[in-house]
Amino acid sequence: PGPPSPPARCPCHPLPRYKPPATETNPALEDPTPDYMNLLGMVFSMCGLMLKLKWCAWIAVYCSFISFANSRSSEDTKQMMSSFM
Amino acid sequence: MKNFYIFIAVLFIPWSFSVAKYDEFEDGDDIMEYDDNDFAEFEDVSEDVVTESPQRIITTEDDEEEATVELEGQDENQEDFDDTDAQEGDTESEPYDDEEFEGYEEKPDSSPSKNKDPITIVNVPAHLQNSWESYYMEILMVTGLLAYIMNYIIGKNKNNRLAHAWFNTHRELLESNFALVGDDGTNKEATSTGKLNQENEHIYNLWCSGRVCCEGMLIQLKFLKRQDLLNVLARMMRPASDQVQIKVTMNDEDMDTYVFAVGTRKALVRLQKEMQDLSEFCSDKPKSGAKYGLPDSLAILSEMGEVTEGMMDAKMIHFLTHYADKIESVQFSDQFSGPKLMQEEGQLTKLPETKKTLLFTFNVPGSGNTSPKDMESLLPLMSMVIYCIDKAKKFRLNREGKQKADKNRARVEENFLKLTHVQRQEAAQSRREEKKRAEKERIMNEEDPEKQRRLEEAALRREQKKLEKKQMKMKQIKVKAM
Repeated sequence: PGPPSPPARCPCHPLPRYKPPATETNPALEDPTPDYMNLLGMVFSMCGLMLKLKWCAWIAVYCSFISFANSRSSEDTKQMMSSFM
Repeated sequence: MKNFYIFIAVLFIPWSFSVAKYDEFEDGDDIMEYDDNDFAEFEDVSEDVVTESPQRIITTEDDEEEATVELEGQDENQEDFDDTDAQEGDTESEPYDDEEFEGYEEKPDSSPSKNKDPITIVNVPAHLQNSWESYYMEILMVTGLLAYIMNYIIGKNKNNRLAHAWFNTHRELLESNFALVGDDGTNKEATSTGKLNQENEHIYNLWCSGRVCCEGMLIQLKFLKRQDLLNVLARMMRPASDQVQIKVTMNDEDMDTYVFAVGTRKALVRLQKEMQDLSEFCSDKPKSGAKYGLPDSLAILSEMGEVTEGMMDAKMIHFLTHYADKIESVQFSDQFSGPKLMQEEGQLTKLPETKKTLLFTFNVPGSGNTSPKDMESLLPLMSMVIYCIDKAKKFRLNREGKQKADKNRARVEENFLKLTHVQRQEAAQSRREEKKRAEKERIMNEEDPEKQRRLEEAALRREQKKLEKKQMKMKQIKVKAM
């Protein structure tokens, strides 16, 4: 009883559409890595610039790469590019 | 186009800065030379004079060539002065008197060797700068970056392949069960895209809907972050596996009111702490499923025994025993509202919205080293999901069960109201105090004394009325109590 038959679609009801999983309620739970890495990258780049430490600048470059790798596709590419610089 | 030009311009600025820095270094080296030359100035002069003096010694013998040679000597000297002392202007480019340098005639032999030295010293620093050793830090860093980029590309492609392998295997089953397979929410009409939605380099979504009894099904392929080298290294310490999460939203009329979960003990303990509905309705610890023939690795969390009895039919047990290694958790709940929200104290909130949901979390076998075949082996689990959807629709609690369930829900709501009651009271009281303060301020600010008196009287009267009302209520309560 109850075979998985072809879908019985009721024409009167509209098909429920895709809704992105509720990230508005818990954005923090959804992996904060790219945001942290972005912040770290900026901090290190500032340090490197002000204190003239080359290794700081290199770590900043690494941080921005990691942030890019972990980022969500919905984020702005312009922001990404500016963080690289 | 404008944006593109601006982008290029912005790119040039840091590049030029970096180039400028190298220029500075070069200039620095030159400055060092100048420093040396500041003190060597006199040496140069003496050397030039020494070079001059042998010339002069020679030319004195040949009176005919005296004038021309002297001129040449002076020109050479002037050029030298221009090269080495360009900063200091022309004050020292004048020819020197013979009288000043009489003492230097004694050293003609050492002069030729001294002539050669300044020329060789200038060349050496240029060679040193080009050696690889001074750049080892940069080379190391760039190698690391290249390794990261390589890993990014490889990881991204692997995740992509795994996702498409999964989708190709499951496509038929999904299309036979759902009218709409694949939707990204952007089209105005509800048409199947027939494609996975790529949210990230490691997360792929698929939305299916258009089936009896369920509103829709969201499948999330949560792969490991193979594109991030740091993550890859971390996974070497702590192995993890890819996960497939399926969330089926049921229609209100198609599911009865119960909360039930089955899965690995570890997962259930975690879910019981995190999930709002499991923590409120399933108060007992996860029980072993051995009674129903389940393997020891799986445990059950249930609102009441009747639900467990109803859920654990033969086919379900068959599914659970056969694929126990791939199942992390299965949760059926009519009060699903996601994980517990962290609320601030004093924040008034209503009960979170609940939806009738079936949640499935499956682990892909291979624990990290997954291959497309492993993704294909998840197909029977999808059949299990479909079976569960139908089962949830069919399963109905009997009268007793229903009463228990209703009581539970009423209890939870009451608790919530009690918790927030204190907060609501405090909020109401603060509002009342605000009103009183505002009124008092108004009275104080009134310049007209007449108006002031009238407002004060009105306020007094209002307060008296309130007191009377309270007293009446107290009397009524006392009468009722008696």
